[in-house]
Amino acid sequence: MNEGMISEGLISDGLIGAAYVVAAVLFILALGGLSNQEKAKRAIWYGIVGMALAVAATIAATGDAAGIGQYVLIGLMVVAGGIAGWIVAKRVQMTQMPELVAGFHSLVGLAAVFIGINAHLEMVRALAAKSAGTAGELAGFAATIAKKTPVELSILKVELFLGILIGAITFTGSIIAYGKLSGKLSSAALTLPGRHLLNLVAIVACFALGYLYLDGAGLWTMLLVAIIAGAIGCHLILAIGGADMPVVVSMLNSYSGWAAAAIGFTLGNDLLIVTGALVGSSGAILSYIMCKGMNRSFISVILGGWGGESTSSEAVDGEMIEARADAVAAALQDADHVVIVPGYGMAVAQAQAAVSELTKRLRDQGKTVRFAIHPVAGRLPGHMNVLLAEAKVPYDIVLEMEEINEDFPQTDVVIVIGANDIVNPAAQDDPGSPIAGMPVLEVWKARQVFVCKRGRGTGYSGIENPLFFKDNTRMFYGDARASMDALLKELD
Amino acid sequence: MKVGAPKETAPGEARVALTPDSAGRLQKLGYECLVEAGAGAKASIPDSAYEAAGVTVVPTAAELWSQADIIVKVREPSEAEIAAAPDGKTLIGFVWPAANEDLLKKMQAKNMTVLAMDMVPRISRAQKMDALSSMANIAGYRAVVEAGNNFGRFFMGQMTAAGKVPPAKVLVVGAGVAGLAAIGTSVSLGAITLAFDVRPEVAEQIESMGAEFVFLDFEEKAKDGAETGGYAAPSSPEFREKQLEKFRELAPDVDIVITTALIPNRPAPELWTEDMVEAMKPGSVIVDLAAERGGNCTLTKADEKIVTDNGVTIVGYTDFPSRMATQASNLYATNVRHMLDDLTPDKDGRPVVNMDDDVIRGALVTHEGAITWPPPAPKVKAIAAAKPKKKEPEETAEEKSAREAKELKKSLNRTGLMLGIGSLLILGLGTVAPPSFMQHFIVFVLAVFVGYHVIWGVAHSLHTPLMAITNAISSIIIVGALLQIVSGSFLVMLLAALSVLMASVNIFGGFLVTRRMLAMFQRS
Repeated sequence: MNEGMISEGLISDGLIGAAYVVAAVLFILALGGLSNQEKAKRAIWYGIVGMALAVAATIAATGDAAGIGQYVLIGLMVVAGGIAGWIVAKRVQMTQMPELVAGFHSLVGLAAVFIGINAHLEMVRALAAKSAGTAGELAGFAATIAKKTPVELSILKVELFLGILIGAITFTGSIIAYGKLSGKLSSAALTLPGRHLLNLVAIVACFALGYLYLDGAGLWTMLLVAIIAGAIGCHLILAIGGADMPVVVSMLNSYSGWAAAAIGFTLGNDLLIVTGALVGSSGAILSYIMCKGMNRSFISVILGGWGGESTSSEAVDGEMIEARADAVAAALQDADHVVIVPGYGMAVAQAQAAVSELTKRLRDQGKTVRFAIHPVAGRLPGHMNVLLAEAKVPYDIVLEMEEINEDFPQTDVVIVIGANDIVNPAAQDDPGSPIAGMPVLEVWKARQVFVCKRGRGTGYSGIENPLFFKDNTRMFYGDARASMDALLKELD
Repeated sequence: MKVGAPKETAPGEARVALTPDSAGRLQKLGYECLVEAGAGAKASIPDSAYEAAGVTVVPTAAELWSQADIIVKVREPSEAEIAAAPDGKTLIGFVWPAANEDLLKKMQAKNMTVLAMDMVPRISRAQKMDALSSMANIAGYRAVVEAGNNFGRFFMGQMTAAGKVPPAKVLVVGAGVAGLAAIGTSVSLGAITLAFDVRPEVAEQIESMGAEFVFLDFEEKAKDGAETGGYAAPSSPEFREKQLEKFRELAPDVDIVITTALIPNRPAPELWTEDMVEAMKPGSVIVDLAAERGGNCTLTKADEKIVTDNGVTIVGYTDFPSRMATQASNLYATNVRHMLDDLTPDKDGRPVVNMDDDVIRGALVTHEGAITWPPPAPKVKAIAAAKPKKKEPEETAEEKSAREAKELKKSLNRTGLMLGIGSLLILGLGTVAPPSFMQHFIVFVLAVFVGYHVIWGVAHSLHTPLMAITNAISSIIIVGALLQIVSGSFLVMLLAALSVLMASVNIFGGFLVTRRMLAMFQRS
């Protein structure tokens, strides 16, 4: 089933095909296992075994045409890459997960570009050898290409073009996303004049080059496509603001999958196609969930910024009333049901350990403490869950928005830590607000709300939050971590 | 400064405005506390308990009035008390300025600063010092207990070996604080509880307490309770007729009636007329919480319990909170303590009368030799104006089925359209593409479908691990690089080797970090 296979390998085509089928099934099981926490711990082994099987089968299949050298080279690269990956994985802080994921995506993107270019080089070589009548001496991928018909070659070129295009966008986009998420680049949205036109022109140029390439133009077209696509990736992500990053990272995740699938088509390798499609659809679904969490269309997020929408948001009257740690502590002492709403501010301040300690103390006093997680809280889908899990907050008290939104009227105290737009009542009350219609956590329905916040400013979206002015809201100013530590002292 | 609580002089008053508990909190605010000997005796708080809390016990009222700077009381001061009081004291207690203008003038003459607990505005911030609500809550509870005391049957229905006992039927008229407390108590005793109020917006509260709202079929432009500070307003004669008609219908049926209907600054409305009392079964009980203001029941006699000719007991006590003196003292003392809390922003034992504070300004009736009652309207409205409810037109069964059919058709149309376009595209592709491509394409489409279904099953909380693991498996691209590495061309080999390197970083890093994350998820 895999025409990429050649018969001089150590094992037969059929065996390799079987290995690939098993690997694909194992990957599906690995993803399916993530449906709950306990299963997931086992399921990851399916993924690891699948990957090992696929790599081993491929190495065995390539045969020893290039002598022992290739094994040494592969071994060297795998070990070096493995060690690097190991070190990164061990060292990374859970708060840095978003940038790590983005960084990893860039590697897949770049690899896709390289493999695409390689495919072209091999194709040229194979065709030259074919016309010279020495095709029989070719090994590996080149030998496969030599057997292709002209139509198949055209399709190969299309696939190759797509692989390079998507790969390059993924590569540079991920690097920019990494920079923004790690704070090395400003997370504000860059809005160049005529940016949509710029993107359009660039895309048209890419496709024009693609057409030239199909028409027989050489490698330069593909290199140019890689460069222009890289620029598109840069510009696209630069134009997207910090809080939209969950969508961007999921989107890049999706792209890295589609790039792999495109390369799979190029190489005629079903395992690559299947895996690429799995990853691609996974990323696409995550993007969809994130967009829904913000009530925005995918297009408007990708095109960046809040897009100059008229911000006719109502002015809020009333005053923000400040509360100190002792008042928060007193309210917590009297409360039976407490809900904590974490946001990106908790991650920035590294306050999760203190929050976990607070949770533990309150639970030891027999109070019900739960967490409410908005789908777009943080900078990565599920970011808050991972941070809380790292801080040893049991996952069964960490609930999704739909699970907990009904319970706020029966809640005594809500503590909002470093979140703003996701608890903004304007989304429901003010049809003129830029976030109107976005699903939000209805914290204001609780008896009392404390908002832990660095200062008086508005959130990422620059939208005034009427929650802060409500009668039952008290502002608990300060760095999230310092505030939580002060609160813990008061609870002693 | 010193805060002192004298013994209440009003006959039958058992409450006290300072408890050992509230004294402890006041000491934290920087106040010294005094109490007259025996002030808490009727509320079961012996002098020794005060002493244990660091409160100085003063033998006589005269000494207390002279030593303390702030006097805290429950009832308004009697003429004798005012006459004996030294000049320039601060007084906190119930004053009822509307009914006691003479008293106000006397206190003004003594240059007193008087804060009336009954004038605290009903805004959220002031709830902690809303003594009227605390007392009403007690009255509501006690009303049910008092009714039970005079009622010869169980509240809860029971099935016993000796036969079936029907549940008692209780009607609560007026669902303010006292009414709601009565409803809660009655429901928890197991009685079938009905409740009525002229404000339709409280129906929800009534139902949330487990009682049944007596619904009046009457079209009237309902007054918004928010306009009157959350209190009821007088109703129109037509409405009243309708209401009485309903009560007449209920009278033979109910066993216990608890009336709590009061309109601010007016005599209590007459809601339970003589003919209704006559229609009731012998042994029934009426508890009239409005007795002090004339009573909701025509036959009520204030401060008395009477039994009518047809055997209906009517309880007209006016001192329900005082009948539960310990509880009432605790709550009232806490309300007073909160008031002092607000009066002492610097926690230095020095009260500051802040005229810009709505709550303090509202409660202040005399200050610096002037009568400051009535206060200006507070800046904050007591209760946010109720939003007019939009009535969703009820759709009939036909309309509903028509709508559903339309929606189904629309979704079918959409699915059909998508399928059509999809099939056409694939057909078009099939005509130009060679079979080898179509084979891969089928695999691709199937994989997208599988991916779609598998990913929707992933728990939201595991989305980050999902991204990390898809990251790792998207490095399957390493297979492509491995296939190319055997090339004869150096450049190809180099690029392929670099790809292997990068994919390896990803594979190891991705899987490891996923494992690390998953291991962190712990159940409690």
